[in-house]
Amino acid sequence: MSATFDRGINAFKEVLDAPIASFFSSCVHCGLCAEACLFYTETGDPKYTPIHKLEPLRRAWQQEYTLLGKLAKLTGLAKAVTDEELAEWGPLVYDSCTLCGRCSMVCPVGNDIAYMVRKMREGMSAAGHAPEGLVTATTRAIQSGSPAGVKWVTVQAQIKRMQAEFGIEIPVNQENADYLVLMSSWEILNYPEYLGAVGRILNQAGATWTLAQDAYEATNSGIQIGASDLARELVGRIVGAAERLKVKCVISPECGHAYTAIRWEGPNLMGRPFGFEVKHILEVLDDLRRAGRLKLKGTLDKPLTYHDPCQISRRGGVYEQPRTLLNQLAPQFKEMADSGVMNWCCGGGGGVSANERAEPLRMTVFKRKKAQIEELGVKTMVTACANCRVVMEEALEHYHMNVEILGLTELVAEHLDEEQ
Amino acid sequence: MAIDGPTIAEVLRQQGISRRGFLKFCATTASLMALPPSMVPAIAAALQHARRPSVIWLSFQECTGCTESLTRSHSPSIEGLILEQISLDYHHTLQAASGTAAEAAREAAMRENAGKYLLVVDGSIPLGNAGFSTIAGISNLDMLKETAAGAAAVIAVGTCAAYGGIPAAQPNPTGAVPVSAIIKDKPVLNVPGCPPIPVVITGVLAHFLTFGSLPELDALGRPKAFYGESIHDRCYRRPFYDQGKFAETFDDEGARKGWCLFKLGCKGPVTYNACATTKWNQGVSFPIQSGHGCIGCSEPGFWDAGPFYKALSMPIGPAKAAIGAAAVAGLAAGAAVALRNRSAKKSAQAAHQKVTIDDLEKSK
Repeated sequence: MSATFDRGINAFKEVLDAPIASFFSSCVHCGLCAEACLFYTETGDPKYTPIHKLEPLRRAWQQEYTLLGKLAKLTGLAKAVTDEELAEWGPLVYDSCTLCGRCSMVCPVGNDIAYMVRKMREGMSAAGHAPEGLVTATTRAIQSGSPAGVKWVTVQAQIKRMQAEFGIEIPVNQENADYLVLMSSWEILNYPEYLGAVGRILNQAGATWTLAQDAYEATNSGIQIGASDLARELVGRIVGAAERLKVKCVISPECGHAYTAIRWEGPNLMGRPFGFEVKHILEVLDDLRRAGRLKLKGTLDKPLTYHDPCQISRRGGVYEQPRTLLNQLAPQFKEMADSGVMNWCCGGGGGVSANERAEPLRMTVFKRKKAQIEELGVKTMVTACANCRVVMEEALEHYHMNVEILGLTELVAEHLDEEQ
Repeated sequence: MAIDGPTIAEVLRQQGISRRGFLKFCATTASLMALPPSMVPAIAAALQHARRPSVIWLSFQECTGCTESLTRSHSPSIEGLILEQISLDYHHTLQAASGTAAEAAREAAMRENAGKYLLVVDGSIPLGNAGFSTIAGISNLDMLKETAAGAAAVIAVGTCAAYGGIPAAQPNPTGAVPVSAIIKDKPVLNVPGCPPIPVVITGVLAHFLTFGSLPELDALGRPKAFYGESIHDRCYRRPFYDQGKFAETFDDEGARKGWCLFKLGCKGPVTYNACATTKWNQGVSFPIQSGHGCIGCSEPGFWDAGPFYKALSMPIGPAKAAIGAAAVAGLAAGAAVALRNRSAKKSAQAAHQKVTIDDLEKSK
């Protein structure tokens, strides 16, 4: 209970760096980012213009780090940032931004707006303006190891189920394995088939792998809420386990922001490079395929499409691998408009799905994805992010749409040629 | 005189110009002036019936190059004939009369066409000492003021009349000024160039006769139709500039291949004129086409704008020191601001209190 406005402003001063200063200085106020943002296009409300969501941070920069801004503040010509203003901006920064980064793609001067929203959340959370849902999720993640409160016993139960269902051995705490497999809470609770699928694929490929009892959870609420101290602690658990078990590679599961958290933010949070590799499961699948260690048979012969998770395709650069796999497995694979790095977000990334306050807005902005699915006329959608999957399944239910969603890893596992 | 004389069309017919040739001239003039095609009949009708306007031409501190350009270079084009067939009532280089008779002609033209005649001026006006340039014992300043008083409009032909030109170049020993520095109560139209393109003056005359007014001017008093675009933007060598292909010397491979002359000092990018489109000598060529960069002669202060053979991007003369000083001052200011900001950020980092899960909600 010790979040204060001063801590928030201090956090703004800490996160303001050279990239942000140059981004704010180069903004030409063209408004192109609005047209790229789901929350603007589906509501038509100009307050959802991405760069506008950063207004308090921009003013803090101007008044703390620029000569004219400082003079304006001293002479009372500029309005200082207030706590009420931060409260007003809370919904803009947390509810209407999924950190999807589509705005960063269209900015003609190259401003990475998503990067700035991520940084701004540091100040917002320090000032106590993070939404309740995210605070709860983050607290649970720190206390129990998972934002959904999933404990190791739950994982153990799923391990048993998968071992029984697929007749595979699921190694735990094994040293010197090729891969450390992580999961997101959603996979543990809703889609445990993921664990079975990864196990079967890695076993068939002849790779050694393991789970870690003290690091099974891949997600990172600290990044979503914007508290680097907490994000560091969460990612540190994975890094600690990977180093203790001396694995060669950590596999980020079918979860978008987990990949961002471990692969991109992780080493920066830890302040050092990792002694192991971090790969998304799709990258691993593609590596195995290229090495001839992924043997597939049969196809799923129905019209389907692929939903690109923002953090994996756009922010992570993993967009060719799923297509290579789908072209092999699904003869009727069709691309959505704006697929790949310009995909439209599911509407629930970046912590929005953990934020109950944002739910009505999340349903509204799903209209974009709905229109995309309807335009294509498919009844099956494949994706590689459990959060996208949960968010879209809820929204499909909300709109009474009869569309099923599959995880790509499971789809691959179902077509393993296990006789070879 | 002019008011009752033959119309322009009659004069052209006497000169053996067909109606077809006349209309062609009208169409060319319309397109040069960027007027819509629908204006061609209006120009033709106006010129058909226009009486030859009375024109008084005053030459001050000049080299007669403008007169050469306007009266001789295009002979015998239609533009030239139009120029000849205006009623040039006074032009001390061209007229046969001299002395008292010449001045009497000027005074008569001023009296008879008061308020209607066009005054053309070439050359700048010395303000330093009246004796620097006089005509018939009258100083340039007095003659300009007296003649401009009854003129419908004043056309300053050549860079000297328009912007002071070479007489006004540093250190400007005669205190030379352009026409526009003296005449404030009349429309003054500048036709700069050293010398200017002949078709510009005939175009302006045609516009004046057709519409009874001067064409639209830019901020420097030049008709936009001719001075609206830079030489560079209309240059046929522009594609080489865009590709980064430059002649480095006047006899290298690049020069032979006709590459851009920017590095050899071409002032095309900062010069606004119609040379690259209308060209010279009946459309034969213009300086850049002949292999020499533009010297920017139609721009104010062109003589003092740095060496002709130095690229525009290179600093000229004493500016170097100023730029150096500015760079040093800028660096110092930048370093000071950076240091200040760095310490601000450092102290913010020092003030950082580790965020725990108890710090995510507001203190009560």
